[in-house]
Amino acid sequence: MSTSRILIACWMSLAALSTGTVALGQAGAAGLVTLAILAVAVAKAWLIADGFMELRHAPRLWRRLVLSWAVVLATVIGISLTI
Amino acid sequence: MFTSAEVVKPPRRLPGDLAMWFFILAELSVFALLILAFVFAQARYPQLFSEGRQLLDRSTGLAMTLSLLTAGLFAALALEQVRQDRPRRGAMLLCIALLLACGYVALKLSEYAHLLGVGLGMEHDTFFTLYWILTAFHFLHVLLGMLILGWLTEGCRRRRYDSQRCSGLESGVLYWHMVDLVWVLLFPVVYILD
Repeated sequence: MSTSRILIACWMSLAALSTGTVALGQAGAAGLVTLAILAVAVAKAWLIADGFMELRHAPRLWRRLVLSWAVVLATVIGISLTI
Repeated sequence: MFTSAEVVKPPRRLPGDLAMWFFILAELSVFALLILAFVFAQARYPQLFSEGRQLLDRSTGLAMTLSLLTAGLFAALALEQVRQDRPRRGAMLLCIALLLACGYVALKLSEYAHLLGVGLGMEHDTFFTLYWILTAFHFLHVLLGMLILGWLTEGCRRRRYDSQRCSGLESGVLYWHMVDLVWVLLFPVVYILD
C-alpha cells in the first residue's frame, strides 16, 4: 500500500470516527457511552500519531510518549466524569 | 547474489527536527492541563456544564473537526509529494490545506460571533470562561499553524524543499498535526461529554 493510500485510509477512519463521536453523544452520555466516546478519541489520536505524524516508523520512546499523552488524558477524564 | 527474499526494515527515524518534538511535548502538556481544568470543573458543576453545552452546536463542532483533519491529510500528502521531488505539487496541496483551515476559522469565528451576540461571553459563567480560554488558546494555535503552512507553501513554490532537504517541511507539518491531535480530545470534552 502506498504512503498516500495509507494517509487517505487514516483520514477516512478519522472522519468516520468523528461522525461516530457525535452519534454516540446523541445516544446520551451516561457511563459506558462516555467511555466509548473517550475510546474513540484515543483511537483518533493513535491514527494521527502513527498515520499523519509517522510515529509508527519513529523510535519507540517518542511513539510511546505521544500515544500515552492521549491514553493518560482520556483515562483521567473518564475517571473524573464517571465516578 | 540474493538467495532469499529477505525483507530489510529501514531504521527507525523521527521525522522533522528534534526541537520540534520537544516543543510538541510542551504544547501537549499545556493543553492537557487546560483540558483537565475544564473536566475537573465539570465534575464539580455538572448541571451548569450540561446547560452550557446545550447552547453549543455539535454539528458545527463536527464540521470544524472535519476541516482540521482534512487539512492535516492534505499537509501530509504535500510532504509525500515533496519527498518524491515534486515540490510544486506539494505547494498546491498545502494551498488546499490552507483553504480547509480557513473553513475552520470561518466556522469558529461565526460560533464566537453567535455566542457573543447572545451574551455568552467569557464572564457569563464557569463553563463559558473555560470554553473561551480553551478554545481561543487552540484557535491561536490554528492561526500560527496556518502561518507556518503559508510559509511552507512559499518554500515549496521556491523549491526550497526536496527529497534531500525536507526536515523543515516535516517540522512545520508536524506542528499542524499536533493542533489536530489536541482537537480530537478537546472536541468531545467541550462539545459532547455531558
